[in-house]
Amino acid sequence: MKDRKTTHFGYQEVPVEEKAGRVAEVFHSVAARYDVMNDLMSGGIHRLWKRFTIELSGARPGQKILDIAGGTGDLTARFSRIVGASGQVVLADINESMLRVGRDRLLDRGIAGNVVPVQADAQYLPFPDNTFDCITIAFGLRNVTDKDLALRSMLRVLKPGGRLLVLEFSKPESKLLEKVYDQYSFRLLPFMGKLVADDAESYRYLAESIRMHPDQETLKQMMADAGFVDCEFHNMTGGIVALHRGIKP
Amino acid sequence: MSDPTYRAGFDAALETAINTALQYDPATRTRLQALDGTVMALDLSAPTLQCCLCIEGDQVRVRQHWAGDVTTSIRCSAISLVRLLKDSDATPAALGVSISGSSALLAELQWIMSDLDIDWEAPLAQLFGDIPAHSIGNALRSAGSWLSASLSRAPVAAAETISEEWQLTPPQAQFEAFADDLSELSLATERLEARVRLLQAQFSRGEAE
Repeated sequence: MKDRKTTHFGYQEVPVEEKAGRVAEVFHSVAARYDVMNDLMSGGIHRLWKRFTIELSGARPGQKILDIAGGTGDLTARFSRIVGASGQVVLADINESMLRVGRDRLLDRGIAGNVVPVQADAQYLPFPDNTFDCITIAFGLRNVTDKDLALRSMLRVLKPGGRLLVLEFSKPESKLLEKVYDQYSFRLLPFMGKLVADDAESYRYLAESIRMHPDQETLKQMMADAGFVDCEFHNMTGGIVALHRGIKP
Repeated sequence: MSDPTYRAGFDAALETAINTALQYDPATRTRLQALDGTVMALDLSAPTLQCCLCIEGDQVRVRQHWAGDVTTSIRCSAISLVRLLKDSDATPAALGVSISGSSALLAELQWIMSDLDIDWEAPLAQLFGDIPAHSIGNALRSAGSWLSASLSRAPVAAAETISEEWQLTPPQAQFEAFADDLSELSLATERLEARVRLLQAQFSRGEAE
């Protein structure tokens, strides 16, 4: 028991093999109200973060894009329009509930034909080497048990010259903003979760998992260690969120 | 570097405004569809702004970054661009607009913009019903034409107030008559000077003889 490897689940230490199951429980719980809560929690700004991500992806008609942790399909919908009928977007998520919500929502909006939903673990991507022109993972990496393994897996399935974009909560640049953000995350966020989704615990986990996620420089180094080159990051909304970009050599 | 969130917000607002307006002009939307897949890169000065307008179906997407092919690149001031798009007879050279790539897209957009006819009553009708929306529309059109007529009369009215009411300057007619008199006096003085010089010359010659 002593030698059992552990990892963090929010502020808790849990056995490595348990984390995926516990994250899955959180997302099964919030899937139905995920979009409403995202808008409520960020005041709609998450749409602007995703918009910037799409722009920096450099996606073009005819390309193959992998949207990991694609959840309810926000990025996939936009990519689908850009790559057109000659391209393809793979909407991947480890969580069945999130994937089902995303797939149905895309179909309801008439987005089909060039979108393929796939239930996949970011650490063991079920695709051949050198498949995608671009990979995005938005607000998903912090939930992955072994981030280094996931980054190496993404590098493998990217084509040479392909881009990885990681959009994730990060560390605010200003101390004052950090304090305000802490109050918001640990007091208001669970309260809103309780009110709207009747699930304060899942939103407490969200706040804790953000604090446990590597900061901007650490994640940039992790991407470089995994084999990406020209790694850079852009802070958004004062560093509350950062967009990291790396290229497969 | 400024926070990308602000720029993304600006682009999103501009894009929403364009596409919401287009929603009320079906004819323009149909014409735009024919331009699907074309991209216009704008490099504007005063105010400084770089963006790409990507036409996707019957919608316009505003993007700061675009890695794909650009159909037409335009470099000019914002005012020149507006004048160019509003006036189908305007030429880029006369307005100082520099174009690279295909000029056909610009010509097509000029043509579309000259025929732009947004039905502003449609969103009002959705809110208030057809008859109230039409009454509001009529009232707004009357107000618009009154404002336009007032603005065109404004310079003349302002000049009259300054000279007639406040008497800060002479009236235009009085000033013009004064200017004419002054000009006449100046010419008469020059003629007299020339005549005196001539008489002096004659007088000098007479003395010498």
